[in-house]
Amino acid sequence: MVLLFALTSLVPGDPAAILLGPQATPEYSQRMINEMGLNQPIHIRLWRFFSNVLQGNLGIDIVSGKPVLKMILEVMPYTIALTFAAIVLAVLTGVPLGVYAATHRGSVLDNVLAFISVAFIAVPSFVIAIFLLLIFAIWLDWLPVLGTSRSGDWLDELRRMILPTVALALGWIGFIARLVRTSMLEVMGENYIRTSRAYGLSEGLITYKYALKNACIPTITILGLGIGRLLGGAVLIEIVFARPGLGRLIYSAISERNYPVVQGAVLVVVVIFVVVNLLVDLSYSAIDPRIRHAGATGRAGA
Amino acid sequence: MAKRISRRSLLAAGAGAAGVSAVSWPLELLAQSTGASRPLLTVRTAADFDLVDPAHRRGPTDGNVMRVVFQRLMTYKPNSSELELDAAAELKQSSPTTIDFKLKPGLMFTDGFGEMTADDVKFSFERIGLPPAAGAKESTYKGDWLHLVGVEVKSKYEGRIVLKQPRANIYDVVIADGSGCIVSKKAVEQRGVEFGLKPVGSGPYQVVSLDKQKGAVLKRNPEYKGARRGNFDEINVRVITDPKTTDLALRAGELDFAILSPAQAEPMRGVAGLNVSIQPSMAYVWLGMNMEKAPLTDIRVRQAIRLGLDVDQMLLAGYNGKVGRLNTALPPPVMGHWKEAPAYKRNVAEAKALLAAAGQSNLKLRLTLLNNPEFQNMALVARALLAEVGVTVEVDAQPGGTYWSSGKGDTGKNLELYISRFNAKFDPNFVLQWFTPDQIGNWNWSRWNSPEFDTLFKAANSEIDVAKRRQMVVDMQKEMDKTSAYVWLTNEASALVHKGWLKPASVPGWGDWQYADFSAS
Repeated sequence: MVLLFALTSLVPGDPAAILLGPQATPEYSQRMINEMGLNQPIHIRLWRFFSNVLQGNLGIDIVSGKPVLKMILEVMPYTIALTFAAIVLAVLTGVPLGVYAATHRGSVLDNVLAFISVAFIAVPSFVIAIFLLLIFAIWLDWLPVLGTSRSGDWLDELRRMILPTVALALGWIGFIARLVRTSMLEVMGENYIRTSRAYGLSEGLITYKYALKNACIPTITILGLGIGRLLGGAVLIEIVFARPGLGRLIYSAISERNYPVVQGAVLVVVVIFVVVNLLVDLSYSAIDPRIRHAGATGRAGA
Repeated sequence: MAKRISRRSLLAAGAGAAGVSAVSWPLELLAQSTGASRPLLTVRTAADFDLVDPAHRRGPTDGNVMRVVFQRLMTYKPNSSELELDAAAELKQSSPTTIDFKLKPGLMFTDGFGEMTADDVKFSFERIGLPPAAGAKESTYKGDWLHLVGVEVKSKYEGRIVLKQPRANIYDVVIADGSGCIVSKKAVEQRGVEFGLKPVGSGPYQVVSLDKQKGAVLKRNPEYKGARRGNFDEINVRVITDPKTTDLALRAGELDFAILSPAQAEPMRGVAGLNVSIQPSMAYVWLGMNMEKAPLTDIRVRQAIRLGLDVDQMLLAGYNGKVGRLNTALPPPVMGHWKEAPAYKRNVAEAKALLAAAGQSNLKLRLTLLNNPEFQNMALVARALLAEVGVTVEVDAQPGGTYWSSGKGDTGKNLELYISRFNAKFDPNFVLQWFTPDQIGNWNWSRWNSPEFDTLFKAANSEIDVAKRRQMVVDMQKEMDKTSAYVWLTNEASALVHKGWLKPASVPGWGDWQYADFSAS
């Protein structure tokens, strides 16, 4: 946040001129600068901001006069729904693909999956989005172009979420598939896997119960980072599908130099990012008993 | 074929699937071509909503909704620059500085806020034009009500607008425009900041919901008493910032109407069920020079640059030649447009001679512009053209946040060349207000300090005699031409893309939409 405040001081552009337009008088422009606190030194602005945050006040949008928190809460459900839908789809598709590729190493399908995965990772999500729209909304006419409806019909809303979710998830599917494959190959070479085979356990049990569980840890780490990134970074998908979202809110606030909104929204993204990654860290010990035991031993030793 | 993809749309496959959809559109068209009143109109707006409040609106998105939510004393007729009475039963210029009005009785505000009275008119105009009460937010449109002394209330329905001095343009750009919208005093006081998101008016439509990033849902106001009731039960104004998404939504039938740039709309010609038409805009785009920055202080350098440019070539690059050339600040529909303004032709030899006479060789200048494709393409052509006359141009394309500050304050002193675009209205004083000396450091980026222009500007603002005013306006444009600091480029054009059955309506200039007058043909 300190960095953010410093950057807002350095970014060129007069916020009052951008926000108020040509008809604003110089006096009013100055008043707006004062209202945003931009006439104050950075340490005072920081102090005021965090004092207000502690009281649950993220500031006031200088344009509409609405509380920034309210604006964030209005768009947050869209962002959360899209992010989690995309991550769930990515996991449900990427993990089986990765496992299959690892267990069929060197096969034709492994090579095809490698090619497709890298392609999904390499192509930006907004390009994928345009292609999906052309195919499914225009040529086939199966799904709508716009990512939200005004009807209040939740089934329609779900239908409108399909394309944005797929567009956002495809890159992550490729990424997760590659990551799981690599981790699985590493784990499959471990002694305990060889021992399990020697005991005559079925290949399915070894793969999905013993190998995959341990191979998942790097994937979970990446998912934690991914969720944080998608919460504020799905802006291009939100723009292409005309969906509301936190990323779009931040983007337009930056364009307008609407600093109270930028600061409030970035703080929310940062907090969610930290919380999600904390949960990810805590989940390690639940998944892998060795980490749990190592932690307990460490504490005991201390 | 109904939903044909353009050659530029990258994918060539899928023709069979599109053929399937081709069967469906004539049925849709048939269904839509019957009946005058329709349930839903869905239109695109490119910019987000801010506040649908006359005093605190920000852009055309807010303004277009305001026009159907609020009534004014007078308003523009559909698709016309002529005015007609709206909320007023009578409106009379009782003296050069006073306007008397009498409201139609029984005009009801929505949400149970009662009948419109002269008190509401007083409140609506004074909250914009007069200093705000302590703690209240000043209107950014205060300038619209310049010279307002106040509104005197004579009776429940009658009142008088009192000005300090005559205003020639008060009907066109104030009373019939956004700053003339009449709000419910009670609703503003009760709702406070929320009023801009839950506005209360007496117009043909009322706001059902207004969400940032999503848009507005408007429904017919059952209590509206006027003649322009609207042809749709509901109007859905969708915020779609991306032109490609707009293109696809139009093809998919999810939008009924949108404005695109001519280049963006071109691939949509021939798409079944859609109409594309290009209309001149009410805007003005020019390449300007900072007259206070050496060597642009020398008129010969400015003349050389003007002669070194080829406006037609620049427009061809910027707009695919789809827009008309502008030779003066005022677009043709604006009163006082200087028809005989010279259309300068490129003359490399003369330009070089002027530079030599000014003692300039290896001249280097920076051209600042907004980073939109049209301006960038024009800037690249300008760079190539000026290179031939011996001027090296560095193109500095900036995002909006930075660009709109680059000519202001002390930063503006270092500006050299710039490309800019402003929106116009029918009134010449509105268009030319940014070029007065008091705008130096604000919006007069050429830093042109002309007392002659200023005198003419002030005189034209108060001149009621149309012929005299027109001459003053032409003289102002001549003064601008003499400086050689402005190379007028275009008034741009907008492409209207809409369903074949829809007839859009706007105040000419294609920016101020009259959603209530959209109809099914």
